[in-house]
Amino acid sequence: MEMNEAKRLIEFKNIVKDFDGQIVLKGISLDIYENEFVTLLGPSGCGKTTLLRILAGFLKQNEGRVIFDGEEISDLPPYKRELNTVFQKYALFPHMNVYENIAFGLKIKKMSKDVIEQKVMKMLKLINLEGFEQRNVTLLSGGQQQRIAIARALVNEPKVLLLDEPLAALDLKLRKEMQYELKRIQQEVGITFIYVTHDQEEALTMSDKIVVMKDGEIQQVGSPTDIYNEPQNRYVANFIGESNIIPGIMLEDKRVRFDDIDFDCVDVGFKEHEPVDVVIRPEDLDIVAQDSGKMNGVVKSVLFKGVHYEIMVETVPGTTVSVKMNVTKEHDVASSDAKERISANHFFVDLEDVKELNDAEIIARADAQAWDPENDEYLSISKIEYELKEEVGNYPVTFSTAGGTAVTVNIMVVEQKYVENPKKNEAISAFNFFKSVDEIKESVALDTDLKTWANAQGWKLSDESIVEIEDVEYDFDPDTISPGVYQVTFSTKGRVFKVHTTDMSEEGAEIALNFYPEDIHVMSKIGY
Amino acid sequence: MKTFKRLTYPYILWIAAMIVIPMLLIVLYALTKQGNDVATLQFTLENFIRFFTDVDFLSTLWISLKIAFLTTILCILIGYPIAYLIANSKPKQRNLYILLITLPMWINMLVRTYAWIGILSDNGLINYVLQLLGFEPQKLLYTDFAVVLGMVYNFIPFMILQIESSLAKLDNSLLDAANDLGADRFHRFMKVTLPLSLPGVISGITLVFLPAVSSFVIPKLMGGGGYMLIGNVIENQFITVGEWNFGSAISMIMACIIMISMYITRKLDKSDDAMARKRGKA
Amino acid sequence: MNRRKLLRRFLLGAILLFFYFPILYMLIFSFNDSRSLTSFDGFSLRWYEKMLHDPNMLEAIYYTLVTAVIATVVSTAVGTITAIGLSKSRRIVREVVSQINNLPIMNPEIVTAVGFMLFYVSLRIEKGFLTMLLAHIAFCIPYVILSVMPKLRSLDDNLAEAAMDLGATPWQAMTKVIVPQILPGIISGALIAFTMSFDDFTISYFVTGNGVKNISTLVWTMSKRINPSINALSTIIVLMITITLLLVNLLPIIKEKTKTKTNRISKHATGIVALCFALFITGGLYWLKSGTKSQMSSEDAIARFGSDTLKIYNVGEYIDPEINTAFEAQYGVKIIYDTFDSNELMYTKLQGGERYDILVPSDYMIERLLKEEFLQPLNHDQIPNIINLAEPLNALSYDPDHIYSVPYFWGTVGIVYNKNNVDIEDLEKEGYNIFKNQKYKGHIYMYDSERDSFMMALKALGYSMNTDYEDQLREAYEWLKEAVSTMEPEIVTDEVIDAMANGNKDMALVYSGDATYILSENEDMGYFMPKEGTNLWSDAMVIPKNAPNPKLANEYINFILEYENSMKNTEFVGYASTNDEVLEECSGSEGIYADNEAYLPRTGYEKDEIFHYNEKSRKLISELWTKVKIAK
Repeated sequence: MEMNEAKRLIEFKNIVKDFDGQIVLKGISLDIYENEFVTLLGPSGCGKTTLLRILAGFLKQNEGRVIFDGEEISDLPPYKRELNTVFQKYALFPHMNVYENIAFGLKIKKMSKDVIEQKVMKMLKLINLEGFEQRNVTLLSGGQQQRIAIARALVNEPKVLLLDEPLAALDLKLRKEMQYELKRIQQEVGITFIYVTHDQEEALTMSDKIVVMKDGEIQQVGSPTDIYNEPQNRYVANFIGESNIIPGIMLEDKRVRFDDIDFDCVDVGFKEHEPVDVVIRPEDLDIVAQDSGKMNGVVKSVLFKGVHYEIMVETVPGTTVSVKMNVTKEHDVASSDAKERISANHFFVDLEDVKELNDAEIIARADAQAWDPENDEYLSISKIEYELKEEVGNYPVTFSTAGGTAVTVNIMVVEQKYVENPKKNEAISAFNFFKSVDEIKESVALDTDLKTWANAQGWKLSDESIVEIEDVEYDFDPDTISPGVYQVTFSTKGRVFKVHTTDMSEEGAEIALNFYPEDIHVMSKIGY
Repeated sequence: MKTFKRLTYPYILWIAAMIVIPMLLIVLYALTKQGNDVATLQFTLENFIRFFTDVDFLSTLWISLKIAFLTTILCILIGYPIAYLIANSKPKQRNLYILLITLPMWINMLVRTYAWIGILSDNGLINYVLQLLGFEPQKLLYTDFAVVLGMVYNFIPFMILQIESSLAKLDNSLLDAANDLGADRFHRFMKVTLPLSLPGVISGITLVFLPAVSSFVIPKLMGGGGYMLIGNVIENQFITVGEWNFGSAISMIMACIIMISMYITRKLDKSDDAMARKRGKA
Repeated sequence: MNRRKLLRRFLLGAILLFFYFPILYMLIFSFNDSRSLTSFDGFSLRWYEKMLHDPNMLEAIYYTLVTAVIATVVSTAVGTITAIGLSKSRRIVREVVSQINNLPIMNPEIVTAVGFMLFYVSLRIEKGFLTMLLAHIAFCIPYVILSVMPKLRSLDDNLAEAAMDLGATPWQAMTKVIVPQILPGIISGALIAFTMSFDDFTISYFVTGNGVKNISTLVWTMSKRINPSINALSTIIVLMITITLLLVNLLPIIKEKTKTKTNRISKHATGIVALCFALFITGGLYWLKSGTKSQMSSEDAIARFGSDTLKIYNVGEYIDPEINTAFEAQYGVKIIYDTFDSNELMYTKLQGGERYDILVPSDYMIERLLKEEFLQPLNHDQIPNIINLAEPLNALSYDPDHIYSVPYFWGTVGIVYNKNNVDIEDLEKEGYNIFKNQKYKGHIYMYDSERDSFMMALKALGYSMNTDYEDQLREAYEWLKEAVSTMEPEIVTDEVIDAMANGNKDMALVYSGDATYILSENEDMGYFMPKEGTNLWSDAMVIPKNAPNPKLANEYINFILEYENSMKNTEFVGYASTNDEVLEECSGSEGIYADNEAYLPRTGYEKDEIFHYNEKSRKLISELWTKVKIAK
């Protein structure tokens, strides 16, 4: 490649750094060439800024060497290094005006006045801020301050310019403008820029080379197109652009299986039956008529994003459980003088959960409430009596107010069954429940309430971590509901693909997804 | 927000009575003759003329200003390095140091100053040690030295705390930037740290100079009964001599001097470091 | 790197030593068995004992604490409310109020203090606890406002609106939303207010009266003499403050630790700690208060004298406090005992409208008070002990028949000198002019009293000390100015007593009573009365016209004149008793002042004079003396 011609300027050799025992850089080795625009990309805490500060000389690595232009510079103080930094919040000296800020480094080097003036003026021209010499830096806009910070660094004619998230403090529009501006300046002055950011779009736009970092390690180094099209692992794929990542199995070269379907692909070099991650970018998926694509599915949601639609398509449904909802008439009890009313519901509880029940829990589960019908103010429930055994059966519980108004309902202890879905590694459970017509009518967020009332829960079989319940379905109209028994179905999220397309689809439409073998990119699992 | 505005009314009445009227009374007394009552007010500038035509009073004022100035300079010279060291300590140590420096300020000023008497007096600890070491005993108490020492001892915490807080507020990236642009430790300090900590130094100056110039307790305790600074002259006029009119006039003169010097320092502060302030706020 | 670290340690260590050494020194010497401030003569709690038996000290602690607590609570509440109001006021109101609010902070303390004093005097409000408290509240509020305002400024403008939009009343919006948000500012404001009030001297000094003292003003009056009780008192203050600060700093840590349990418990714990602390303080205050109160029934006293309080205004350290305690017990009354430094100070206070039952001024001041009709005649029926007066006191020119005054102590003014270093022949030859003898340059004290200094100068020049010729006075001024500028004297007040007792210098002009103490402490010292004559002075008890309780005052005068009390008093104070029998016994060969040449005043010498009051020369002398001092 062309790298043979370019000169190697900076070499990081196995850099290790820890702060108070916490390792931030785990042996970074990286080469940077002349005239490159290199971006260190990663989330906060990945060590990218630390690496930059080691290069600038503000930090010293615990192990490893930094070689600059063929010389080891680890022991050189920052003010002797031939590189300059643009700081995150610019770090302009507030007690100096624009001119003095830019001239700072030159004055330190004791250059003659006229040379300084010449250089500063040239810089002001480069950053399009002529005539701003005498301005107070604190009164300038963020973009102007940014450009002055760049000029202040560049005026010293460094071989490398370090930029530490320089655009983070700007608003979106200004950020876009400055991206072009930065690229222009880099091309004009023709030196190496090392740019730190957590914004993948910034990285893709400006860089010649992107270094993706995570937890103190380099995940991938490459050009923007390499990184985008050929992410080396799930992490990089996720971080760069939007993607659908599906676990699969490599059957043989150019043949991968996921979601129980075998697909052709172009990837080779994996072991037979090696578990892999499969990436399909949303823009590579097409929506076609049902049964005419590679996978059938249902449109779950459509979002208009300006240029395109973002459409979520479910190809494999989630795990589902159905329960019965007993809708009753009003069941509140009034006190003899009609000054107080109290209500509560029967409820089911799992045998295993009985021992965890306490007064507050029972009040909540029974939805016990007392109120004054005159002014609708809530009264507190002062007494609660029950006898519970850890056996299947019905146990009465009585709630009463201080005024003596009481209501009795049943706690029904059952052995709850749950639905397991080993293929998706998840399970889901819910309880039958009792509700009054009014409670359903009064609910402001019925889906959430139904989940609470039925105590619907989903979890991973492997580690019992929570799986979100995505869908609640029922066959009644909550505004006109009458007493009776209704079915409510809860389900987890199935396999959902994100599709970017300019064609509109209807929510609920039954369609198919189509793509080509070369749209599939197979990656090895991380954590190898 | 009418309801909230009304909350200030009682205090406006209160300051009218407890702050404005007393100040006006000083002015009134300063401008009238002794022995007047309300019915026979006689305005005069005699009190001021007496002060400004008497070499002795003027020289007392001059000495007071000199002592206060010396105290302030010493507080900066000693306080700045200390503040610098504290601001550059680890957070835990920094908090401890600040606590340790604040702690004595909680103890009564008279009590703290009184403690020095035993150490400085002719047969006190220092002279005792000097004699043990074979030196001539020195006269320490009831000298200018003792007065300045007492003032520095009492007022230096203000200076340290002010400078420290302005140094601690300093954005570290500015220091990195200076280093990055080629400034070594010394240049970095002179060109960035020092100018940016000036607001702290200036508010420290007001907090030291102001009480130093008007104190009458420290001069009397550390300078002896005959030691006169302008504060003592005022006290003397009110408590011993009973010439309240003249005393009021001197009080007014002193208040004016203070206000003017505050105004000047404020001005300096503004022109130099308004930007730093603004930055600090943002 | 290492050297830098070492330097840093050294500098920080040095400054901390500078801060804490004096405090530590004071702490250690509060346990010293002797009076000395240099040699530690063994551990003892005697100064603490002395402090706890001194009603003045206990009362001062009580007043300090009560003032600080009330001033803190009131100023915090008012300051917070005002700050909230200001933050919602129009800009102009806010600007003006904060400018005025800044005045007490920007102004020199002494100016603020003088302002308060003039204010109270103009309104004819009697100075005392209330005036002090009001002044404290007044200078504390600005600090509270100043520390609350920034917190308010950083608050979201719409918070109060949001609260009221959700149904809160303005009061609820303030207490439930705004106050919790600005609580750190309020707390730091309260802390500042507390320290400001607790430590205040200057303002309290100008605005209290009627025997009400806080710790600072008490220390001020005592600080001229070496008094290890101050160290004991200071140690207790340091202890109190350290405990408070530790609690304040530790509470958050304790809270943090208990957080691991439930929030409720930590709330309880904090509550309990706060409650204990409050109980501890209230209990302590109550105990102090009860300790300062007379235990006797006062009903009899009210029946007999119309009131159960007696207000005395005397010179500082001029009485055996047991005498007052005995009087209080015997008569079931409470004595409010106030002290002054100089006759002029006393006069100024009287002019300020303060009312006392008994004053103890000097001869010339009594003459002035008589002339200006400040005094009322004594009731001799109540003072049978008047016959006990020593003979020379029965023909005092200002009041020969004791119609208005009964002498309290009397004496002369003379030169205390170190017999080893001062040649007695020089003294006998030069008299007062020895204060201009270069041989003794740098070894003399002069007393900061205009009358006595001018007495010395006038006598040295051969004039009467009562002269009212201006040229003679000017000549005396020149004499003094020369002495002050050539002899490097130290101008002192009561510090001279301990200083001479320690032998710090060789010569000083001293009152005979103080000389008695010096001579009894230091054998090397002698007392010399120059042949040019001296001031034969007497201080006497008088009753002002506006005395609230003259009947009880007459009773007190008689009580003082009793043999037993006179004896106690002269033994304690060291001045010559006015009781004939006591005087003879003390100076006799068996008496405690048997060999003390300073105790018994010289009588019958023609050149000795009694001071007379002269308005014209008084003013001139006072002005000239100020200039002498400044000239130094």
